[in-house]
Amino acid sequence: MTCISNLKKIGVSLLALSILIPLVINSANSAYAQQKVTINGAGATFPFPLIDTWRVEYQKVNPNVNINYASIGSGGGIKQFLEKTVDFGATDAPLSKTDFAKAVNPVHIPETIGSVVLSYNLPGVTTPLKLSGPVIADIFLGKITKWDDPKIKQLNPNVTLPSNPITVVHRSDGSGTTFVFTNYLSKISPEWSSKVGSSTSVQWPTGIGAPGNEGVSASITGSPYSIGYVELAYALTSKMNYATLQNKAGNFVIPSIESTMAAVSASASTLPKGTDPWTSVSLTDAPGKNSYPIASFTYIILYKELSTNPSIDAQKAKSIVSFLSWAITDGQKFSKPLGYVPLPPAVVKIDQQTLSALTFKGSPISTK
Amino acid sequence: MNKENKDYKSIIQDSIVKNSKKRKYINKLITVVLFGCVVIAIIPLVSILVDVFENGSAAFNLNFLFLPPGSIGSNDGGIGPAIQGTLMIVGFATLVGAPVGVLVGVYLSEYASFSSSNRRFAYLLRLFNDVMTGIPSVVIGIVGYITIVLALGSFSIVAGAFVLSIIMIPIVARVSEETLKLIPNSLREAGYALGVSKWKVVWHIVVKGSKSGIVTGIVLGISRIAGETAPLIMTILGTSLFFSSFNSPVDALPLRIWRLASQPYPSAHQQGWGAALLLILIVLSLSIVLRMISQKRGFQLKTAT
Repeated sequence: MTCISNLKKIGVSLLALSILIPLVINSANSAYAQQKVTINGAGATFPFPLIDTWRVEYQKVNPNVNINYASIGSGGGIKQFLEKTVDFGATDAPLSKTDFAKAVNPVHIPETIGSVVLSYNLPGVTTPLKLSGPVIADIFLGKITKWDDPKIKQLNPNVTLPSNPITVVHRSDGSGTTFVFTNYLSKISPEWSSKVGSSTSVQWPTGIGAPGNEGVSASITGSPYSIGYVELAYALTSKMNYATLQNKAGNFVIPSIESTMAAVSASASTLPKGTDPWTSVSLTDAPGKNSYPIASFTYIILYKELSTNPSIDAQKAKSIVSFLSWAITDGQKFSKPLGYVPLPPAVVKIDQQTLSALTFKGSPISTK
Repeated sequence: MNKENKDYKSIIQDSIVKNSKKRKYINKLITVVLFGCVVIAIIPLVSILVDVFENGSAAFNLNFLFLPPGSIGSNDGGIGPAIQGTLMIVGFATLVGAPVGVLVGVYLSEYASFSSSNRRFAYLLRLFNDVMTGIPSVVIGIVGYITIVLALGSFSIVAGAFVLSIIMIPIVARVSEETLKLIPNSLREAGYALGVSKWKVVWHIVVKGSKSGIVTGIVLGISRIAGETAPLIMTILGTSLFFSSFNSPVDALPLRIWRLASQPYPSAHQQGWGAALLLILIVLSLSIVLRMISQKRGFQLKTAT
């Protein structure tokens, strides 16, 4: 009997220990290291691998600053930023006019660039398919239904195309990727613009939905004669077939880090200041000979007056600024291996101006 | 006369033989059908366990269990914060949810059947309790987000434990009430006959006597909340850091699994499988341990009396 009650006591105390030990260790930790700062952020899923790499790498640069980023989607990022539950938000789509007004002086800090590729599954076709904006729009509008449609044939005279029907795959969840893709189609096709429009989730005229880049790519690999859109970083790591696209200048461009960078450089001169609204900023259908047409910034959003968010104190404000200054300069070297496009110098300059314009309780923040 | 008698006998015998054949046939048929249903029920369970074990066991090592995650896709680090977070959130939720749930069950079974107004109240309570068990956990997550996250201004373990305890209470209450009702009235009456006060009868006879049932209810509640993802997304947000304070985001296993699964990297998937396996093991071992404790207790009481 004593043996059994002992067992029980041991069990209960083990349970209690498993909960208490981490508590004690952590409180001891925080007592020793008073300077530790945790920066909480949330938002877009697209830049998550890059920001997560920054989290680990920045620990090596400044061990006292912890970065905590949760990928909850662009919409969620904007909402939590407006509700001030996180220190910074992240989004693929710039703040809308209403959100910009609601936030009272937010700033946009483009932290990396991504592009969207048209990925397809065509058994027997080995040469990369060539597509143009209007043809893509027609495919996703359901107007081109067969692979050997004359419009596709015209772009690919040397490819024998099967006469199978096209299976269109799109995202079923709200996504920054969808925003970039539909933004491009709206620019290219007036019909798309009036019928479907551009948003993080739209009413698709045709096709099957799949969740996440993962789901879309699995659907494409699983069903022959299908086409869909995924992020470049994803297509590169998963080795899928993707189409070369005709850009504004009329050239066919392979999606790559270089061609996306060309698109950004071509648009860099037209960018607003970080403190201005970015609602109309778009890198899609960019001018330039080598520009890939479906590219987009992804942004960190902050309040210009950092103390607007009550959970940011002077020390945290300083840490946020130093982290972001590091991310847009030294941090950019981690983008290429992950399939992201590094920021061109012109954009880094805009970001640096934005960061130096930030204030805490009215006074500028020195990171020295 | 005799001959007729014999005829009847043979007719009856014939029909018995016939009937028994039919009965045996039906019996066999039903047995096969029932067994088939059992197999159908077990196939998904076993295949899930096998799949999770096959894919997840490779991820297990000391680093995986104790380190914070490395950068995504690098296969470094582990899921330490998620394990700690799940233990803490489920622990705190149980600290609140289990006693409240059990006491609601005690009220419904022992105190609510006196006057007619009490009975009506108990009826409503039971009804709402059942409705509560049916509310999608996402909705409860939104409640936690609005009442706690927005009020405190940050995602926190408090909000996570709060929503999980709300999910847990109706389950524990329902099961406790049902088990308490199983205690025979004669035992209660015996207590009253000896002049024992009501709360003593309830505590020493009814509650202690149905301990194993109550523990089952609590285990059911724990296993349910340990796997909840949706309400946690809205209350604890998720993080790669160990617990630091009661008003900062924490991590949890289901959340981590979901995040890892939506990444394009095979190493992330591997860690996700590992986390899934660990979650199953935690819930399984917890329920085995709690059951062993409660059953030993019950056995002991019986031999003592």
